[in-house]
Amino acid sequence: MDAKSDLDYIPGTPAVVIDKVSMTYQTTSRPRETESEPKPEGHSGGSKMRSRNVEILALKPTSLVVEHGESIGIIGRNGSGKSTLLKLVGGQIPPTSGAVYATSTPVMLGVNAALIPGLSGDQNIVLGCLAMGMTHQEINKRYSEIVELSGLEDAVHMPMKSYSAGMGSRLRFAIAAAIDPEILIIDEALNTGDAQFKDRTRTKMLELLDQAGTVFLVSHSMPTIADLCNRVIWLDKGELIADGEPAIVIKSYRMFAKKLAAKDRAGAMAFRRRMVRNLKIADVTDRSQLRRSKQ
Amino acid sequence: MTTVSGPPVGGNKAEFVSTSVNLRGLRRVGARPPFLEYLVSLWNYRHFVVYDAQARIQTGNEQDKLGRAWLVLGPLLNGLMFYLIMGVLLQSGRGIENFIAFLIIGVFLFQMTSRAVSKSSSVIRSNKNVIQAFHFPRASLVLAANIREVLSNIPVLITMLILVVILPPFESITFRWFLIIPIVILQFIFNLGVGLILARVVSNFNDASRLIGYAMRLWMYGSCMFFSIDRFDKFPTARAIMEFNPLYIVLDLARQNIIYQNVGDLRAWLILTLWSLLAITVGLFYFWKGEETYGRQI
Repeated sequence: MDAKSDLDYIPGTPAVVIDKVSMTYQTTSRPRETESEPKPEGHSGGSKMRSRNVEILALKPTSLVVEHGESIGIIGRNGSGKSTLLKLVGGQIPPTSGAVYATSTPVMLGVNAALIPGLSGDQNIVLGCLAMGMTHQEINKRYSEIVELSGLEDAVHMPMKSYSAGMGSRLRFAIAAAIDPEILIIDEALNTGDAQFKDRTRTKMLELLDQAGTVFLVSHSMPTIADLCNRVIWLDKGELIADGEPAIVIKSYRMFAKKLAAKDRAGAMAFRRRMVRNLKIADVTDRSQLRRSKQ
Repeated sequence: MTTVSGPPVGGNKAEFVSTSVNLRGLRRVGARPPFLEYLVSLWNYRHFVVYDAQARIQTGNEQDKLGRAWLVLGPLLNGLMFYLIMGVLLQSGRGIENFIAFLIIGVFLFQMTSRAVSKSSSVIRSNKNVIQAFHFPRASLVLAANIREVLSNIPVLITMLILVVILPPFESITFRWFLIIPIVILQFIFNLGVGLILARVVSNFNDASRLIGYAMRLWMYGSCMFFSIDRFDKFPTARAIMEFNPLYIVLDLARQNIIYQNVGDLRAWLILTLWSLLAITVGLFYFWKGEETYGRQI
């Protein structure tokens, strides 16, 4: 793998290392009433109706080594674990097993960075920026820029709970975009807002992409991925299917999607198996740790 | 830079390529920093803490027509209720000099702790969005909740002192009244420590939040809010335990200084200081231990 970055690239030190990270969500599920047999007596069916704990494997153990300057596009069907992977990289949720290592704290540029509904837009801007570790001076400098990007104008002084869904997500995007992160994570941010806002976010995103050393981008728009990324990974049902050149991976994903759309399930699964068989997954060992333990 | 080795694996599994990576200079995402580093980062987030506390006081009572007046009206009504039931009906104030002032100080100061503790314990749940959106030391949320309580209690404390002055029998204002400030500071530190402990307990085990209300009520009876400790003269053990109760000491010291014209026992001051230091140390350490678990629940 060769790094295409002219940033402060240190030979042999990757930007992000995802080491056998998996995620299992725990939740409860009530049995379907039709599932259980008719109750023999009136009250004995109580235990059957009790909800049981269910584990949802959102992401099977996955490893990736990401170098400085790489823009990783993540593609896959709904529920394939794309957003889970992003949340794990961004540190929003701790993984069930494994670990993510990064040179600096990755910043999630999403629309789900919810703030405090009772506070006004401008208070949320200050609070969000402080929570990201900015100082009051930096916030003062950036404030008008954030308000402008959010497009809220006078509504910025109203409480956030009075905002429409679009207004809220615009504000969140504008706050998250206020810092220049080294590692940037973007979750479908391009697909929110009206046409006017889309233009503005796109410009801002390209600007941030230029500055950021490493980017993770989830999008259902293949042109966007092909446009912005120089490496693409394809996830399906929490499993890594392919990892490589954008053009090649996107082509395989389209082929898979076409087979599924044509109701050729068997063909699609065979294709998926073939892809997995050709995949090379990094089995990460820490060189610096090895050296240390030898001493 | 990567060394590739390992036999190819057949079947439907992907091939694992052992990859040697230099993790020097990389940090685990979301990792808990060492304790001292954590305290430093907590200090670095002081602007966040202060802003969070101030912003939420302003908007906290916006839904009510009377707004921030409820900060004072709440404990006032509470005190009136206790006066009617305990003072008038049950005569729990028999033998207490200036029972009204005694009761007002008890009710007002006790609710500072009970509010702070219940607010702190629910802090992780009520700030889940912020926790998942940003990286910052989570203890700053508990700290902000406690500072918010102190700031919103300043008018409450002033009301308390005014009531003591204007309600008969009149008390004269002395220099000892200023000792209410160190008492409240020690109480704040104690609340913060207890709040940190409960914040972690409740975030891991939500059922605990249901017990806090009962525990606070028990604590209220054990702190002599509306009766004198002399009632326990027949039970020396119970009385001795109560004299170690930090909240009893807070109420007692405040009453001694405001109503009864003495500075209070040195022993009581010492015990309260020790309690505060113990609570904040244990609280910070215990909360820090769980730093990575907050916000895990979906």
